[in-house]
Amino acid sequence: MNIRRAAAGASIAALLPFAGTALAQTAAQSTPSNEELKREIDEQKQKLLILERKLENSQDAAAAAAATAPRITINASRFQIGSNDNSNFIRFRGTLFADNRAYAGDSAPETADTFLLRSVRPTFEGTFANIYDFRFTPDFGSGRSIIVDAYAAARFKPGFVVTVGKFKPSVGLERLASEPDLRFMERGLPTFLVPNRDLGLQLSGDFAGGAFSYQVGYFNGVTDGQSSDNLATPDVESDTGGDYAARVFLHPFINSDNFNLRGLGFGIGSTYQDLDGAATNPYLPSYRSQGQLSVFSYRANTATGTTPNNATFSNGERLRLAPQLYYYRGSFGFLGEYTTVKQDVSRTVAGATRSDTLTNSAWQGQFSYFLTGEDESYRGFTPQSTFQPGKPGTGAWELVARIQELDVDDAAFVGGANSFANPLTAITKETAWGVGVNWYPWNTVKLSLNYDVTSFEGGAATGDRADEQAIFSRFAINY
Amino acid sequence: MKQPNWQRRLLIALSTSVFIGGVGSAAQAAEVTLLNVSYDPTRELYVDFNKSFAEYWKKKTGDTVKINQSHGGSGRQARSVIDGLSADVVTLALAADVDAIANNGKLLPVNWEERLPDHSAPYTSTIVFLVRKGNPKNIKDWGDLVKPGVGVITPNPKTSGGARWNYLAAWAWAKKQPGGSDATAREFVKALYKNVPVLDTGARGSTTTFAQRGIGDVAISWENEAWLATKELGPDKFEIVIPSVSILAEPSVAVVDKVVLRRGTRAVAEEYLKYLYTPEGQEIAARNYYRPRNPQVAAKHAELFPKIDLVTIKDFGGWTKAQKEHFGDGGVFDQIQAQ
Repeated sequence: MNIRRAAAGASIAALLPFAGTALAQTAAQSTPSNEELKREIDEQKQKLLILERKLENSQDAAAAAAATAPRITINASRFQIGSNDNSNFIRFRGTLFADNRAYAGDSAPETADTFLLRSVRPTFEGTFANIYDFRFTPDFGSGRSIIVDAYAAARFKPGFVVTVGKFKPSVGLERLASEPDLRFMERGLPTFLVPNRDLGLQLSGDFAGGAFSYQVGYFNGVTDGQSSDNLATPDVESDTGGDYAARVFLHPFINSDNFNLRGLGFGIGSTYQDLDGAATNPYLPSYRSQGQLSVFSYRANTATGTTPNNATFSNGERLRLAPQLYYYRGSFGFLGEYTTVKQDVSRTVAGATRSDTLTNSAWQGQFSYFLTGEDESYRGFTPQSTFQPGKPGTGAWELVARIQELDVDDAAFVGGANSFANPLTAITKETAWGVGVNWYPWNTVKLSLNYDVTSFEGGAATGDRADEQAIFSRFAINY
Repeated sequence: MKQPNWQRRLLIALSTSVFIGGVGSAAQAAEVTLLNVSYDPTRELYVDFNKSFAEYWKKKTGDTVKINQSHGGSGRQARSVIDGLSADVVTLALAADVDAIANNGKLLPVNWEERLPDHSAPYTSTIVFLVRKGNPKNIKDWGDLVKPGVGVITPNPKTSGGARWNYLAAWAWAKKQPGGSDATAREFVKALYKNVPVLDTGARGSTTTFAQRGIGDVAISWENEAWLATKELGPDKFEIVIPSVSILAEPSVAVVDKVVLRRGTRAVAEEYLKYLYTPEGQEIAARNYYRPRNPQVAAKHAELFPKIDLVTIKDFGGWTKAQKEHFGDGGVFDQIQAQ
C-alpha cells in the first residue's frame, strides 16, 4: 500500500514539470495579442455595420413598397380603393332616403299620405391618372329603376374640363346641389323649370382660383324639370332639336381677406332650344306643388274618333334664364334664384291653330342656420360632434326656412275651351312658405322634418285650389 | 332657317376637337416639362446637363423647358416605365433595360438603338475599384477580390445595370486568365459574390454602403461614380484602382415614343437627347467623369480616363443573350446565389 502511494507520488512529481509547461503554453495561446484583438473588433464592427446596412436597405425597400402600395380606405364615410398617390381610385358611395309624406286638412286626398323610398342610389365612381373621372349612379327609389348619372369627364386643366354622358346640365342653382347637401327635403319651385338630367357634352372650368367658373353644353333637351329617362324611349332623343346650355358663376371675393364676403356667389344659367313638337308628342311640362302633387299641366288630347288630336304642344323656341345667388357666412346661409322659361306653344282645335309665347317663372329664397355652430355651405359640411347615446355630443342641428312662388303665364288660360291650359284643373300661381329642421347625428346620417304651406290661384272648379299643408319627414343615409 | 341636326352636332364635335387641340397646343407653347428616367449615378450629370439644355432650348425656341429627373437602379427604373411611369426619355445604364421597355412595354420601337449615333450611347464609362486610402488589403486586380477576408461591395445585378457591368467585367477577367473558360469564370464570379456582404439595389446605394457606412474593403464601381466619391467624400479617404481588364459600359438613351406622342413632347425630347452629342453635351459628360464619344473632348480630359483593356458586350453575344444567360430568371447569377 505504502509502496503504491510512493510510486504514485513519484509519478506525479515526474509529470509536474511537463504539466507546468503545457499550462504555460495554453495560457500563452488564450491571451490574444493587441493585433488579434483589434482584428477581432474590426470584424465584429464590420458585422454590425453590415447588419445595420441590411436593416437600412430593408427599411428603404419597405418604404419604397409602401409608397407604391395600393391604398384601401374603409371608414364611416368612404369605401375607396386607389393608388398610393390617389391619382387612380375607384370609390363606392350611396344614398338612401326613406320618406314619410303626410298632408294636413283637405289639401290632398288621403291616398297621398304615404311612406316611400324617395331615393336609393348606389354610386360607383373613380378617377384615372388624376385626369379622367367617371360616375355611374342608378336609382331604385320611387318604384323605378333608372340611370341617374352615367358620365365620363376629363379634367385637362382647371379651366378646361370635358364631360360627356348623362348628368345635370348647368342651369339651376339648387338643381346643381347634390342631393345630400340639400337643406330642404325637396327642391324649390324654380327647380321645376330647369332641366334635371340630360344626355350631352359640356365644357366647363374654373379660373382665378374659383373666382370665375363657366359651363357650356349641348344636350338632347328635356322639358322643364324632367330627365331624359322621362322620354318616351328613356335616354334616347326623339325630337329634332338639341338644347344649348350655358352658365357663368362668380365668387368675386373667394380669395379675399374679407371673410364677410367670401361666401358670396352669383351667376346666371340659360338654355335655348328650337323644337317642333306635335300634338302626339307635345314636349311640354307639368308642374307640381311643393308637396309634390301635380297642380299644372297643359291641355291633353280630348278628341275622339277621327277628330284630330287637340293637345297643346311646343312649337318653336324655348329659352330659360336663371339668375341665381347664394351667400354663406358662418352658420348662416342664403340661397336665392329666379327662373323664367319662355316657350312657344300651339294648339289646334277644329282645324284652327292658335300659337303664343308663354312665359312661366318661379323664384325662391331659402335660409339656413346651424344651431350647433357648423359653417353653412353650398356644398357639404362635417358636424362638429356626433351623437352617441350616453356620450357627449349632439350632432349638428339646423333650422331652415323658405318662401317661393311659381307663376304660370296668364295667356295659357286665355281662349276658353281653346286655351292652352284648363283653368279648372291647372293652377295659375302657387305661393309657398316652409320651415324645417335637420338633425345630423352622424356625418352620414340625416333626419329631416319639413312643413310647407302652399296657396294656389286657380286650379279648381270653384276657383282656387285648396291650400296645401305638407308635413314631410326623412331618414337619410349618405355614404 | 333651322340647321339640320346632324350638321349642328358635327359642328359641335369639330369645335370641341379644335378647342381641345388649341388648348393642348397653347399649353405646349408656354412651358414644356420632360421626365428623364435615369439610373442611379447620373444625378449630378443630368442636373448639370438639364440646366445647359434649358438655356439652349430657350435660346432656340423661346420656350421654357423644365426637366424632371428620376433615378434608381436601372432595371427597376425600366420596370417602372413599363408599369406606367410617364418617361419622355430614358437614359439607362444599359441597352438591355431599354430593350425591355421596347419588348415588354411596347413603348418604343425595337430598333431604337439606330435612331441616334453610337447606337444611342452618347457617352461611355467602365468599371474600376474604389478602395480605402492606402489600399490596406493591397487590391490590385480582380483576383484579389476573392481572397478570404476581403469585403466586396457591388449592387444586385437583378436590379442594377451597373452591377451587371461589374459582373460581366469580372467574368471577362477570369476568362482571360491562363486556362480560363466559362466554367472557371463561373467559379470565380461565384467566389467573388461570396465576399459580398450587402447587395444594394443600385450603384448609388453601394457607394453609400462602402463610402459612408464604412463597409467592405473594395467597391466595384462605375468609373464616374468612383471619381465622384473620391472628389465629394475626400481624396484622403479613397483611392481608385484600375484593374487589368474591364468592360466598356455603354449607357443608352432613348425617346419613349408612346409617352411623347401622348404628351406632345417629341420635338423637345428628341432635341434633348441630340444635345448630349453636341460639344457642349460631351463636355458636360466629361466634366462628370463619363467618357465622351467626341475625340476632341476626350483628348482634353484624357488624364481622367486611363487606357484599359476593355471587353465589350459583343464579347458576351450582345445584351439579349447576356441578359437571358446571366441575369434572367434561373440564369447563372440566380444559380450561383442559390448555391
